[in-house]
Parts: sequence; structure tokens; C-alpha cells
Amino acid sequence: MNTQTMLELARGPIFYGALLFFIAGMLYRLVTVISLGWNKDLAKPRGDKATGVVKSFLRGGIIFPFFPREKAAYARNPIVYIAGGLFHLSLFIVVILGAAHMLVWKSLIGFGWPTLPLPIVDWMAAVGIIAMVALIVNRMVHPVMKLLTGVAEVLNWLFVFLPMITGYMMTHHMFLPYENLFVLHMMSINVLLVWIPLSRISHFMFYFFSRTIHGVEWGKRNAMP
Amino acid sequence: MSIEPTMNLFVKKTGGWVASQLEACTRCGMCAEACPYYLATGKAEYAPIWKVEPLRRAYEQRFTLIGKLKVALGVEKALTDADLKAWSKVDFEACSVCGKCSGACPMGIEISSLIATVRAGITAAGLAPAGLVEKTEMQMKCGSPNGMCEDEYIKWFDSLEEKTGVKAPLDVKGADMLVVYTSLEIKDKRHNLYDLAKILNAAGIKWTISMDARDAFNMGSIIGNPKVQKELAGKILNTAKKLGVKQILVTECGHGFTTLRDAVPNVFGEELPFFVTHIAELLPNLIKEGKIKVKEGYFKNGHTYTFHDSCKIQRQGGIMDEPRYALKLLAGDTFKEMDSIRENGLCCGGGGGIRSIPEANENRLAAFKLKLAEVEKVGADVVVSTCDNCQLQLKDGFKHYNKAVEVKGLIEMVAEAMI
Amino acid sequence: MPDETIYQSMKNKGVSRRDFLKLSGLFAMALGFTKAPPFEESGLPTSLEFSPKVAEPIVRAMETKPRLPVIWLEFQDCTGCSEALTRSNSPTLSSLVLNTLTIEYHETLSAAAGFQVEEAKQQAMKKYAGQYILVVEGSIPVGEEALYCVIGGRTGEEILKEAAAGAAAIIAVGNCSSFGGLPKAKPNPTNAKGVWEIITDKPIINISGCPAIPEAITGVIAHYALFGTLPELDGLHRPKTFYGVTVHDRCLRRPFYEAGKFALSFDDEGAKKGYCLYKLGCKGPTTYNSCATIKWDAGLSFPIQSGHPCLGCSEPNFWDGGGFYQGQSAPLERPEVTAVGAAVAAGVVLGAGMAVANSNQKKAAEALKGGSK
Repeated sequence: MNTQTMLELARGPIFYGALLFFIAGMLYRLVTVISLGWNKDLAKPRGDKATGVVKSFLRGGIIFPFFPREKAAYARNPIVYIAGGLFHLSLFIVVILGAAHMLVWKSLIGFGWPTLPLPIVDWMAAVGIIAMVALIVNRMVHPVMKLLTGVAEVLNWLFVFLPMITGYMMTHHMFLPYENLFVLHMMSINVLLVWIPLSRISHFMFYFFSRTIHGVEWGKRNAMP
Repeated sequence: MSIEPTMNLFVKKTGGWVASQLEACTRCGMCAEACPYYLATGKAEYAPIWKVEPLRRAYEQRFTLIGKLKVALGVEKALTDADLKAWSKVDFEACSVCGKCSGACPMGIEISSLIATVRAGITAAGLAPAGLVEKTEMQMKCGSPNGMCEDEYIKWFDSLEEKTGVKAPLDVKGADMLVVYTSLEIKDKRHNLYDLAKILNAAGIKWTISMDARDAFNMGSIIGNPKVQKELAGKILNTAKKLGVKQILVTECGHGFTTLRDAVPNVFGEELPFFVTHIAELLPNLIKEGKIKVKEGYFKNGHTYTFHDSCKIQRQGGIMDEPRYALKLLAGDTFKEMDSIRENGLCCGGGGGIRSIPEANENRLAAFKLKLAEVEKVGADVVVSTCDNCQLQLKDGFKHYNKAVEVKGLIEMVAEAMI
Repeated sequence: MPDETIYQSMKNKGVSRRDFLKLSGLFAMALGFTKAPPFEESGLPTSLEFSPKVAEPIVRAMETKPRLPVIWLEFQDCTGCSEALTRSNSPTLSSLVLNTLTIEYHETLSAAAGFQVEEAKQQAMKKYAGQYILVVEGSIPVGEEALYCVIGGRTGEEILKEAAAGAAAIIAVGNCSSFGGLPKAKPNPTNAKGVWEIITDKPIINISGCPAIPEAITGVIAHYALFGTLPELDGLHRPKTFYGVTVHDRCLRRPFYEAGKFALSFDDEGAKKGYCLYKLGCKGPTTYNSCATIKWDAGLSFPIQSGHPCLGCSEPNFWDGGGFYQGQSAPLERPEVTAVGAAVAAGVVLGAGMAVANSNQKKAAEALKGGSK
């Protein structure tokens, strides 16, 4: 089997299958959680729940990574929020505003958008990779994170890291020919797509639940800063 | 097998609300950095999300294919009795359910609510700390966890007349407000009854007290026993309904306030026909509305005042601006703020029933040290709090560390400054 | 008359020594020589190996080597590669055909036709057995579908195997003979294959492209003619000299790619300004060929320079590599709505099944009184 055939498999049927598995898996997770039932909160609210939710998402999505609410707490483990925030920023910039990735979206959803110049995307990718390394080192060193880290957490890290590092190597033609890296990049993406519904990387979906709940709970008490 | 009742409770309590939050956790460990018990002791297993571990495992193993697969593959073990025993030490002896972790969580998970569920599970297995079980039984028997039974209350209420000249308004039908004290006040702060009576009468509020609703304390909430919680809260709910009051005033109790306001409607499945308020909210509002008059700057007397935010009243109750308004009025610029305030307020270390567990004394006093550091940093010699339990813990702590810091309640301050 | 040396035959035709040396220099350039190729096999004096004068080995070789017999077979092709070769303005080409090679059989170029030319081929194959170079143009249908390509009553597969048996080396010219090309595109009705999928016991060089770049064809043939060795090949049996770097790497629009300036349609401002065509589906980044350096029509232009994205025609299965105007990075297939629907349904059904099981569990727990003491 030559590289071209492998690339065709990785970009073709395997990706196709992984994507469908991802869709089915995420829906399974979503349906399972939602169907567990939700109780109506009968307590009289002291504040506005909707305001709380808006603030919750503003804090969680935009302001949070760099301006944490619990400043003292974040100062004690700054790597999680600095590296974690940078990693997510890098992820969004590279995956959404990188030209090559935009074309993937375009081919899947039918429309595209303007993209950033390669050097910017490239630097962001480097930032993301460095952040990921910092995160795993921190995870191995920090006593609480060590306790919370099992095999699954290490795999989570690995399966997210592989597409990042292969993608970076690809744009820089490092170590291996471009197509070989393309194969590795696509295969690592395929693995990630399968892994997401099986793991906590699915937090991007439940994030919207937990942040909404947070906003409702704190907004209800009028305690949302 | 004592694991079954726990599993049943977890299964019952796990709805979408709990499950979606358990699923959202990324194991980042940030909650630990907000937890006073972890920070004071450095023990990794005190990380708030680790306290939720039994619930997470129960949820995954009972409700998800992945969890079942994990057990089948041997990656994760099914929850056992021994696990619960171990977590009993963690969840009860190193947690005041203060909810600071929820504010630190990047995903916004309500960790403290989940911990409360875990505690309920441990209690269902009969593995709750002996100290708490004893207090619960005491409250079920005589109405107060401190052994302040009916006759003590009768004496206390009777003493109102001799102290203030006003007869205690027992079971007044059609009153506006039902006042519910705590059994900590009858034990250590008996003057609260007289001070509050003075304030309420001056404000012209038609208030009442009742022997059937004499203690806002709810051991069911603390230990996590839904049945006990329902029974105890039901007494107050029914009395309020019977008397037809418009609002319930909880005096210096934290968990009693949130239990009545936020939990009771859902426990009984009905919207409350009255409004639940707290002195931390009521007193400043009375001042603001001009119903009572206080001497401005009455407490500007060379002391430095600071305000301790209690978890149940301030963080979870949302009553943060009101007591500050009152304090600024009374103490002026001698009122100083600590570093961790309002929603991010640091726990006194004594909440969540931890004061009733002798084994947890070390943790409790270690956690208090963090608070002490903040108090000392701001240079305050009077700490004001609206929670009785916090006041006791603060007094205890200052005494233990030989610090000459006074602890005051808001009721006594307002009553004293009243013109 | 293949037995006389190349130089002799040129001299007989009246080529001056000066023109001969110029031609040698051009060959050296076309072959991309920075130093001479392996000498042991070529039989040239080793003193030349480290010569800084790269044309010198060529001169020596042309002076000593006999002309190379070539048999050129066409199967399922469009003759585009032959066309490209003959229309090339490169002086090396005419020189190549006229001077370094004796083309014994070429269906398009031969004056003779029918059984005469077939007979001539048979004779040549016999006479130069083990010496001739077999050039193949077009894909070959095999198996039952071999009947789709029949020449002189024999299938292409048969003809190829027969000719390959006596060949010293096989040069597959164009994407069709290299990798199957257009005939092999899905659903491949003729069961077409590239030469290397059929012949496995001969050295094979793939000069892919649609058509193959004439300079690449001549360069490789000249290399073999002059040195008797095959040039260095990549994993797809393509000479590294011509297929060493991607079109993207040498593209004149590359700076626009780096700067994030792209043409978004063929008539927008970006297209007019000559911005990068990546977003219009350019396959340059995964296409190994020398279009961007050698270019076409005597270095006049190449597709990207002229405003069209690269199709990736020197890569296997380029017809099936997603749309020509679909991004190079995009997945090959877009999941069909029905497939996505099926996945959604599967997820929901599985989730609903779990939901029923979970709800039963909850009911059972609710029914149990021991839930809380």
C-alpha cells in the first residue's frame, strides 16, 4: 500500500466512517443525558436567571480564560488557565480560521469564510502545541491533577495532541514527506473523532449545559458577579 | 450490603441536571484551588471534584454504556461499601459545602450541590459521621440538634417580656411575618430575640413566633437525609401556612434560610405562598426604607470592621449588597473589605455540619487559618457576620489562635445603633 | 543504425562540434545535474565523477554510447503525451528523437501502418532483446475487460506483456500508463491499470502527468541512453529530478498563500491580482511535479501561472481525489444526507434505548423504600 492509497483511505472512507461515528456517538450522549429528566425549579428567584446565563457565558466563553472570576484560585494553578485558555484560543483560530481547515468545513457544510494568513495561524498552532505540553506536564506534576488523571485523561491529551503536532509538522515539511504527514494527520483526526464521543473531550457539548446551569443557579440567587 | 440504598439514592437524584454537569467536567482540578480544606491541608483527595467521585462512578456505571464498558473491562471498579467509608471522611470532614469551588470551575459546574448529593448517598448507607447522626437524632427527638427542647424555648420566649416589656407574639394568626430562630441563638446568643424584637417592633412589623416552627436548623439538609429534611422543613412550612403569614424571616441561620427558600418548594413540589427572607436582607432594607433609624457612624469608635461573607447567605443566598450598606452606614470608613469577598468569599471553615464532627477539628481549624490571614491582612479587630454558625466558628478560631478579634452579629449592631 | 555512437550519428547529419557541446549542456540542465550520476554502471571514466563541468560526462557519454532503441506502445490513451512531446519547442527533444534514439515502433509517428509496422516491431524486439527501452502511453485494461483495448487482434495486456519481456526498462509516460489515469477513474469500466500493476519483474519509471512534461520524458530517456542507468526514483517510481518537490513549493503564487491572500472565484479581484488559487481547489501542495519550474511550451507558462488551480495530474487517482475545485485539504467524500441522517438516527435510537433502560432503573429505585433511611 503506497502513501497515496493510504491518504485516500484516511481522507475518504475512514474519515467518512469516523465522522458518522462521531455524529451518532455525540447524539447518543446528548439523548442519554437529556432523557434523564429535568425538574422544574419551583423556588422564587431572587434575581434574573436569563441575566445570569448571559453573564455565565460571557465569563465562561470570552472573558474567562484570561480574566478569571476566582482570581486567587487561578493564581495558584495558573498553567491550567493560561495554557488552557491559549490552547482553546489556538484551537479555534487554527481549526476555523486556517485556510486548509476552512476548506474542510466548506466541503462539509457548503460555505466558506475569510481566513487568516499562514504565519499567524502557524504561530497560533505553535502556541497551542506549547500550551498542550505545559498542560500535560502540569497534569503529571500537580497533586490534585495527578489524582484526577487516569488512562482516559492521558489518552484525551494524546489524541488531541497528535493532530496538532502532525498538522504542524505538515505545514513545515518536518521529518517526513508531506503526504505521509497528511496521512498521519488525517488518521489522528479520525482517531480523535471516534474518541470524542467515548471520552470527556465531549465537554464542548456539555459545556453549554453546565454553563447554563451555572448561570441559572447564580442568576436565580442574584449572586452572579 | 449497604451500598444498595446509596445507589438507589444516586439513581433517583441523577437527572439531566446532575448528569450534564458530571459529563462536563474536564478533570482540570481548578476547584481544588478554591477549596479552603485542600488549601489548608494540601491533601489532593480534598479536591472538590474528587468528593463527587462516588456520584460520577455511580452515574457512569448505572446510566452510560461507557461506564458499563469500563467496569466490564476492569478499568474501573464498581462502587463499594469501602469506597463510601473512605469518602465519608472526605465529604463530611473536609467540606463545608460552601460552593466556592462552583465559582472557580471553568465549566461552571455546581460542585457543591453534587457534593451534597454524595453526602446524602453516604448517609443513606449509614456511614455519616457519628457526630452528625447524633445531632440529627437529637433534632428529630426534641426539635433542636443542641438539646434545646421545647421547655427551653418556652423559657426563652417568656423571658422576652421581662427583658423588653413586650409579650412574645406566639402563634399570631394573620401576622405578616413568621420569625424563625436557630437553636444556636437560644444557646449562645439569647439577646438576638430581644434585639430583633426591638427592631421589628420599632419598624412596626406584625410578627409572630411559633413553638411549631421554633428552629430553622435543618439537620436533614446538613447530613443529607431527604426524609428528615422534609419533615423538619414541613413543620415550618405548615406553621407558616396555618398562620397565613406573608413572609418568613430566618434570623442568623444560613442553611436553614436556603433550605426554606430554595429547597423546600422543590421538596414539596409547590410554590411557596409566602416569601422567605433573612435578617441580612431585612434589616438593611428597613434602614433604607426609613422604617427604623440608626445613628450613622455609631460604630466609628477606633475599631476596624470587616464583613465575613457566609456561604449560604451571601454566596448562595445572594444577599451581599444589603449587609454592606448597613455596615458602611454604621461603621463608615472603618469598615474594610477583605480580599475574598462576596461571591468569592472564603469559608470560615465551620459550615456544613463540620463543627459537629470532632474528627474534623484539625481540618476545621486549619481552614480557619486562611480566613484569619485575610482578617489580619485587612487589620480588622471586629468581624461582622450574619450567620450564627460562622460567628461561632470565628470566635472559636480566634480563641484557638489567641487573636483578640471580636465577632459581632448584624442584629445586635443594628439594635445597638438604633435611635 | 543504432550501433554507431550518438556523436557519430550527429556528426553524419552535419551537427557541428559547437552545437554538440551546446546540446550536451542542455541535457545536463534538463537532467538537473549538479554532479554526474553513478559512474560504475555507466562505464565512463571515474575521473569525471567530481568534475565541476557537468556537461562533460554528457559529452563523453554521447561520444561513446550507441543510440538507444525504443519501442513506444499506446493503449487507452489520448496521445496527449506524444503530442506534448512532439510539440515541445525544446531543442533537446528533436535532438533526442533524431540523434540519441532509434524509435523502432511508434504508432503515431510511424510512417508505416498495419501488419508491416507490427512485423517491424517483432523484428526489433528480437534484434534488441534485452536492450530496448519500452515506453508505454495509456492505461491497460486487464482480465475480462482486456477486450476493451485490442490492437491488431490482440489485447493490450498481451501486447504489453510480450513487449515487456524483452525490455531493458519500461518508461510509463503520462498518468494513464503510470497510475491508470482517466480510464481508471471511478467506476473504472474497463478495469484499467497502470503498467506497474501488471509488470512486476522489470525496472519501471513512471513519468506521470496529464500529459507528462516533455522535458521529463526526454530527460529520463536521455539519462538512460547516456548512462545506461535509471535515475533516482521516489516511492511512486517517479524520477526525483522532476518529482522531487511539490508544485506548491516552487509555485510563483506561493507568497500569496503564505500571506493569506487568496482568489475566491475565477473572476474576483484576487484572481485578477494573481493571488493564490488554494481556495479554488489547487492541489499543488500534494502534487509532485516540475510544472512550476520547467513549465510548458518552452517555459512560457503552466496552469497556475495562467490562472487555473493545479489538478494534481501527476498523482495517482487524481480524478477521484475530490472535485477539481474542492479544497486540497477537504475530505474526499462529503457524507451524504442519508448517511448523516442514518448516523443521527442511530445515535438517537441508541440514546433512546439507554433512556428507557435508565428510566426503568429510576422507577425501580423510586419504588424501593430503602432509598433513604
